[in-house]
Amino acid sequence: MEFFKSHRVIDFMRYQRVCGITSGVLVLASMIGLFYPGPNYGIDFRGGTELEIALKSKVSTEDLRKTVEDLGYHRPEVISVGGDANRYILRIQEVSSLPAKQTDKIEAGFKRALGPVAVDGFKVSPGGDKISLRLAESVDPEALRAALETAGARIRSVAVFGAAQDHRYEAMLVGVGDELVRGLKSKLGDRIPETPLRVEWVGPKAGQQLRTAALQALLYAMAFIMVYVAFRFDLRFAPGGVIAIFHDAAIVVGMYVLLQKEFTLGTVAAILTVVGYSINDTIVIFDRIRENMARMRDVGLYQLINVSTSQTISRTIITSSVTQLSILGFFIWGTPVIQDVVFALTVGFVSGTYSTIYIAAPFTEWMDRRVFKRA
Amino acid sequence: MDKSWYVRFLFVLATVIGAWLVLWPSIDKWVPAPPRVKTMFESRISPGLDIRGGLRLMYEVEVDEAVRDRRDLRADQLLRTLGERFGSIKKGEIPTREQLQKTAQRVQITPVGERGMTLKFKDAADLAKLDRQLIADYGDVREKSREGTLVELDIRTDFLDQIRETAVEQARETISNRVDALGLREASVTAQNTDIIVEVPGADEAAFQRMRDLISKTARLEFQIVDDDATFVEELTDLPEGITRHTETVSAGTSKPSVTVSYLASRGAGARQKLADYIESLKASAKFPADHEFLIGEYSRAEPDDKAAPKAREEAWRTWYLHGRAEITGQAIKDAFVANEPDTGKPYVAINFNDDGAEVFRQLTAANVKRRMAIVLDDRVASDPVIQTEIGGGHCQITLGGFRPYNEVINEAKDLVVVLKAGALPVPIRPSNEQMIGPTLGLDGVAQGVRGALVGIALVLLFMAIYYQVAGLIADLAMLINLLLMLAAMAFFEATLTLPGIVALALNIGMAVDANVLISERIREELRAGKSPRSAVDQGFGRAFWSIFDAQITTLLAAIVLFQFGTGPVKGFAVTLIIGICTSLFTGVFCSRVLFDWLVRGGRVHSLKVG
Repeated sequence: MEFFKSHRVIDFMRYQRVCGITSGVLVLASMIGLFYPGPNYGIDFRGGTELEIALKSKVSTEDLRKTVEDLGYHRPEVISVGGDANRYILRIQEVSSLPAKQTDKIEAGFKRALGPVAVDGFKVSPGGDKISLRLAESVDPEALRAALETAGARIRSVAVFGAAQDHRYEAMLVGVGDELVRGLKSKLGDRIPETPLRVEWVGPKAGQQLRTAALQALLYAMAFIMVYVAFRFDLRFAPGGVIAIFHDAAIVVGMYVLLQKEFTLGTVAAILTVVGYSINDTIVIFDRIRENMARMRDVGLYQLINVSTSQTISRTIITSSVTQLSILGFFIWGTPVIQDVVFALTVGFVSGTYSTIYIAAPFTEWMDRRVFKRA
Repeated sequence: MDKSWYVRFLFVLATVIGAWLVLWPSIDKWVPAPPRVKTMFESRISPGLDIRGGLRLMYEVEVDEAVRDRRDLRADQLLRTLGERFGSIKKGEIPTREQLQKTAQRVQITPVGERGMTLKFKDAADLAKLDRQLIADYGDVREKSREGTLVELDIRTDFLDQIRETAVEQARETISNRVDALGLREASVTAQNTDIIVEVPGADEAAFQRMRDLISKTARLEFQIVDDDATFVEELTDLPEGITRHTETVSAGTSKPSVTVSYLASRGAGARQKLADYIESLKASAKFPADHEFLIGEYSRAEPDDKAAPKAREEAWRTWYLHGRAEITGQAIKDAFVANEPDTGKPYVAINFNDDGAEVFRQLTAANVKRRMAIVLDDRVASDPVIQTEIGGGHCQITLGGFRPYNEVINEAKDLVVVLKAGALPVPIRPSNEQMIGPTLGLDGVAQGVRGALVGIALVLLFMAIYYQVAGLIADLAMLINLLLMLAAMAFFEATLTLPGIVALALNIGMAVDANVLISERIREELRAGKSPRSAVDQGFGRAFWSIFDAQITTLLAAIVLFQFGTGPVKGFAVTLIIGICTSLFTGVFCSRVLFDWLVRGGRVHSLKVG
């Protein structure tokens, strides 16, 4: 069986200008999109709310997960605890963050209600699950509760925090956790207790360090690839391959921003995979160009690229389709997180195949023509 | 068939059998492995948190310690600046201990609580030197009160939360780095207010214990100067039983090359506790100066003619009386490794500081020439070398061990390197809770993932067989070997298999096919040019090889860089990629060639069907 029987030379390079401009615009749009509206960071990057709950009688993990999903919570994690069939940790992405305006209002109202006691510190946690207070003197937690409630905050409990002479207090707010419990109660009835064992805001798994490290690693990788390509091939080839990588990574990110898909650790892995795929694809065509260069000395680079791309087009299409085939199953059988990763890969593979032909090779020709001033 | 083919064939066969044996214990559940195989190959693929669950460890970060550290830092800076203003320290130069002591005679800085300090000036005229601008320049310090010659300062309350939050985040990242350093175990590390939660996959208590040990090692490496001018130990009375006072002759600065100072020691079982309890009781009494530390360490570097020298391997501990300030902490470390002293064979940990650390270390050593510097690890003195001269270049080494056997010491050295490289915890942490947790992903989720992977792999196999026919079947066989090798490598490195890992496996198979596609396309071209199957195969492999090689090496390069510079999941990803590249080069090129050669050599086929 053979899909590509025609052996004529296709003039791929004809479209280099159109493609170059289109890609440039898309990459630029992706870059802008990274800042505005910005990526939709998932629980891995942004954190969420975690609650531990002791059910009164047995509910299976699957049923509980299903119920939480039915309540409209996005991709919850439902984890059984300690072999005890009725204890679960629920992790959801929603946080009960209060808008700054409301926080200010509560703070002002609280200070008014508290009267003469100076408030040294008033801070609502990033997860909106509690208010940390630092006062100039000791105040009865119940009085604090009353003052906060007058100010419009919905309080679950107030307690002294840290050493007594510090006058620090923590007020737990009614928030997402309580809403979730109420929702569960309406679905599962008596099996759900009145209050969860604890409700807390969880920080992100991937902090700033991971973001910088991933980006840094990517930049270093591109630099090393450039050096290797310049060494194994030719200086003219080096920038094209790296620009193609950057292009593909940017397009994947851009697609994520555009569709406001959730950015998770899986997405990071997917982008890295796309980078690996992209460079692989590019090198194969570069290799053919190099081989043809030695054989057809009198042919210009423009035509050489057309010939080489045409000769390898069969392999290009087959490899990208086969790679796509290998992850096709996950579109049908896969958790939502996996489906997102597979989506990123698909975008990246299409982009990677395209960028080899229309970005990497033409850029090499441009380098040859403009920078090296050859015919 | 020539001889080389048989050699190559046997090599492939041996690899496959070897890989199967390594993998077998991991899939014991489905294909029961004989007990001998299980004892021979102990490492297994461990299912990740999302598939099987694991242990959830909770630690509380002692954030107030971070505030104390900040206060100490500001106190040091104030003393130095005031010294410069008094004229006792030259501006821009490194103050020596004598100069600092001279400054301290005019203004005494005493810590108060966790965030405050008092400055007591001897001379009221000096008060003006501490102007508002100086305090404001620090940003996080404010003047609380000024009565007579006594000024009270503290860290501003609005900075406390920030200092605490930074401490928690740094602790989280440090723990995360340490967990990474253990290998491919994909543990999750998150912060929750002032707590840190570590979730470790698996159910292996030994692995959990190692994790616990590594996490809770503060790895606070501090360099503190021994105070050999003080007579504190000499003046102690009523020593408890089992604790003895000894003297040693040491160098205490360039002007005092030989002074005799006292220290306490204790030997035998429970010696450490005895000393620790006594020090605790001393500190509780008002006599103990707040700006000093009294620490213990293993008693091994006895004076040559010291009769109190412990017998080999008997537990023995002694004390050091130190200036309380930590001069350099572990955050200044760039690299660390284990080495052995050539003369004694004793293991030591060599440390390279980063640029800032090297500068501070140079300053510290310059200011304390001919004094003893205690290298303190987690509040225990590891060694107390005398600073002979200013040390530039940022190298330093810690000799470990004393009475303990070599193996124990070398293991400690190795763990120390892991934690030093990962960075010290900025503040101590305390385990607060521990529970086993179930899988984060539902059983149905796992089943779906596995089905997705199987379908993907099946589609690839089917497509290749139909499209490239004979060459496709060879590619399929190579691919299956590739899958086996990858799984075996995962088992060998005790990698964690997560759902994304299953996706990566399927994807690797898809991407590895590229080598076979390239080869098959080339063989096709050669056949079309009218070559015989045998020479078409030779030429096809020859031509395709460099494409495959360059493409794989470039990707490998990227993977190695990712591994070197990446952290956490990025690193794990890089390892999977590296394994995939190596196995696919072997199967795609080497194994395929053996199979092709079997077909075309020895005239087995007269025409080769490549689609």
